[in-house]
Amino acid sequence: MLQLLADGLIVGSVIALGAVGLTLTYAILRFANFGQGEFLTWGAYIALSLLGLLLGAAAMEPLGPFSFGIELLAVLPVAAALTALLALALDWALFRRLQQGQAIALVIASFGAALALRNLLQFLYGTLPEYYTREIQIAIRLVPRDTLGGLRITPDQMAVMGLTLLTVVALHLLLTRTTLGRSMRAVAENPSLARVAGVDVEQVRRATWIIGAALAAVAGIFAGLTGQLRPGLGFDLLLPLFAAAILGGIGSVWGAVLGGFIVGLAESLAVPLVGAEYRAAVSFLVLIAILLLRPAGLFGGRP
Amino acid sequence: MSELLPILSYVSFFLAFAGIFGVMCLGLNLQWGFAGLFNVGVAGFVAVGAYASALITAPSGLGWPVPFGLVGAMLAAGLVAALVGVAALRLREDYLAITTFGVAVVIQLVALNAEWLTGGPFGIQSIPRPLFEAVGGGLAWNLLYLALVLAVLGAVWWALERLVTSPWGRVLRALREDEVAAAALGKRVARFRLEAFILGCMVMGLGGALYAHFVGYIAPEDFLPVLTFQIWAMLILGGSGNNRGAVAGAVLVWGIWTLSGNLLRELLPQSEQARGAALQVVLIGTLIAVTLILRPRGLFGEKAQVSRHAGK
Amino acid sequence: MMAFEAVTGGYEPGLPILRGADLIVEPGEILALLGPNGAGKSTLVKAAAGLVPVWSGRITLAQREITNRPAHRMLAEGLGFVPQTENIFARLTVRENLLLAHALAPRERRGTIAEMEALFPDLARQRSLAAGRLSGGQRQMLAVARALLAKPAVLMLDEPSAGLSPRLVATLFERLAAIRGTGVTILLVEQNVRAALSIADRAAVLVGGRVAHLAPARDLDPTALGPLFLGGGH
Repeated sequence: MLQLLADGLIVGSVIALGAVGLTLTYAILRFANFGQGEFLTWGAYIALSLLGLLLGAAAMEPLGPFSFGIELLAVLPVAAALTALLALALDWALFRRLQQGQAIALVIASFGAALALRNLLQFLYGTLPEYYTREIQIAIRLVPRDTLGGLRITPDQMAVMGLTLLTVVALHLLLTRTTLGRSMRAVAENPSLARVAGVDVEQVRRATWIIGAALAAVAGIFAGLTGQLRPGLGFDLLLPLFAAAILGGIGSVWGAVLGGFIVGLAESLAVPLVGAEYRAAVSFLVLIAILLLRPAGLFGGRP
Repeated sequence: MSELLPILSYVSFFLAFAGIFGVMCLGLNLQWGFAGLFNVGVAGFVAVGAYASALITAPSGLGWPVPFGLVGAMLAAGLVAALVGVAALRLREDYLAITTFGVAVVIQLVALNAEWLTGGPFGIQSIPRPLFEAVGGGLAWNLLYLALVLAVLGAVWWALERLVTSPWGRVLRALREDEVAAAALGKRVARFRLEAFILGCMVMGLGGALYAHFVGYIAPEDFLPVLTFQIWAMLILGGSGNNRGAVAGAVLVWGIWTLSGNLLRELLPQSEQARGAALQVVLIGTLIAVTLILRPRGLFGEKAQVSRHAGK
Repeated sequence: MMAFEAVTGGYEPGLPILRGADLIVEPGEILALLGPNGAGKSTLVKAAAGLVPVWSGRITLAQREITNRPAHRMLAEGLGFVPQTENIFARLTVRENLLLAHALAPRERRGTIAEMEALFPDLARQRSLAAGRLSGGQRQMLAVARALLAKPAVLMLDEPSAGLSPRLVATLFERLAAIRGTGVTILLVEQNVRAALSIADRAAVLVGGRVAHLAPARDLDPTALGPLFLGGGH
């Protein structure tokens, strides 16, 4: 039972970070970006390539109890930055040119972009799974077996959870203490008034893409670290990401984070009931339940 | 004369598929073009129709005649649509998009894992091809099936045209144009939308069944999100809002798809064929993006669309 | 200070709301913009603010052309705008609203939050409250404070009295007169003719997208304005 909870929190971390970008683009740019999953995948693979560049054929020297070395920490911000650039390029080429037309065109375009990006990645990297490192991780027993099934957790997993928490706190500070953060919240609430108030909405738009994609890239790297890299990584997480963002309430960053953890836990706890193959169906059920019971989500203002 | 045979065979093959996609596209046009409903789960409903027909007609299933399969496909797809629609149709359009996307994902999951029903990853084989032995297979059967597909396409087109110009259809169009009036009509709106959604999905299911009986075997990988995207691409390029656009788009996009496929097969070595398939999607995706930007109406699309600004 | 020359424009192409509006706003005055519903009063100030496209004609501020400039640059031009509804960020706190306005104001001439809190003491008391929870009158104060922080040369307000009790309207308008006293030119769109005329220097009546009548405020009798509103007038 405890083990399931821990696994759920790990998966939840990835979903939480990915969902933040989704909820921000949804609230500020006003469309459901089906391409968000691809930022996770591309972030993970860009990090892989950067590691390859950095290490050549050599393997990473593990840092302390972790499976990864210092190199992964070094490439993480770079991969995030490059993924942010990808998002900006996609916005420039596609999304901003459709912004004035029907809202649906944006969603279709993002769906198509998601497919194109995933297939491009497949074209470049092939379909076999990849790993950052072949190091075997020894799980640490935190709770003995006789208590609720016990709990074992690897140092990697603890690092992921810790870094996720740090990231979320940093994001909170950005949104509440900086002008950029307040501007973003202003645009999310009322774009017209924001412009009147002097907010450069273009700048906020760019910031939204950068933050959303960078966080997604980090989430993708975490997913690759605690699992494996495959081209479908992000796309398979799309449904959980949407469930988390809508559960938390569109526009609420804390909502997306909490939603992410709840969806992760729900999926994990349901595995003994429905089998691991049907994990994604759990996200769907969460989504349907929220849309039927409380479409505005937990913290949402806009239903 | 004998040089013509392979060409004829290829063309009939191509047109049959184009026609099958055309049927699916007509279903989507009813939902999107006429009712303004945003269904991103097309592949799921096509799959329901295909699997239903397969299970009804295959020797490993019920073994009934093909017409029963076609009808069963429509009923099954309609049933699933009814369940989804009752829950999801009152949501705003992008929530409907996400929900229908989720539906398709779940349907694919079931197709992949419920081996007792769907054969799992191997799918269902030996789906009967109508009158195959009677005409001796080969080109003759391709042509026969093409005729069948065109007949179904024509029938669906005619039925939808009648529907759209009927009082029911007029209400639907009015609802699409003016949401405020729609809100004032309240419950009736929900009813109309549900009916449009169910009918559209039934047509998609029919398309799925036609596909199953043409190819003879189906597997979960035939109904991936790429299919949803292909049908949408057909509708967007051809011009949504009228049936002519739907069918024209189907032929056009299918033509581009097969052409690019052939081209890549020529250019790429054997070992890289899978990568070539991936590149096809990238190409089509780019094409759709360009179309959306440069000519959002598509080829035959209506001039005045209700534009909802994505945030003034 | 500010000039509208033959301004024609509207929200949807082909549906003009402004049909050649001409108006000059003198420096340091309060100019009331009156007229029946649909005449284009709000549209005129929104056009100046960059929110509604201008198809022909010009709008200038201190001899600089500001026609169709991006809305977010208007603050830098010295133009402040208080919309009628949704004029504060409800989900930010009062303090955050002011901090944001302060940060976005042009560096050379912005006011301080302390000044605003002195002008509107209620705001100092409710710093941490989500702005959406303020009363109607307090909201208007915050909305005006927000615009004032940029020390605009011209302040435009769209029906600030809407939804307020007569007492609050009086207080608000008294503040507006005080603000004018500091040298700010005020363009005041109003349905509440009496209140507007009580502080305005001049009044313009907009009918059918054009200025039908322009006179000193004291020369206008509120009850006599009826026919002007209904007369259409070219």
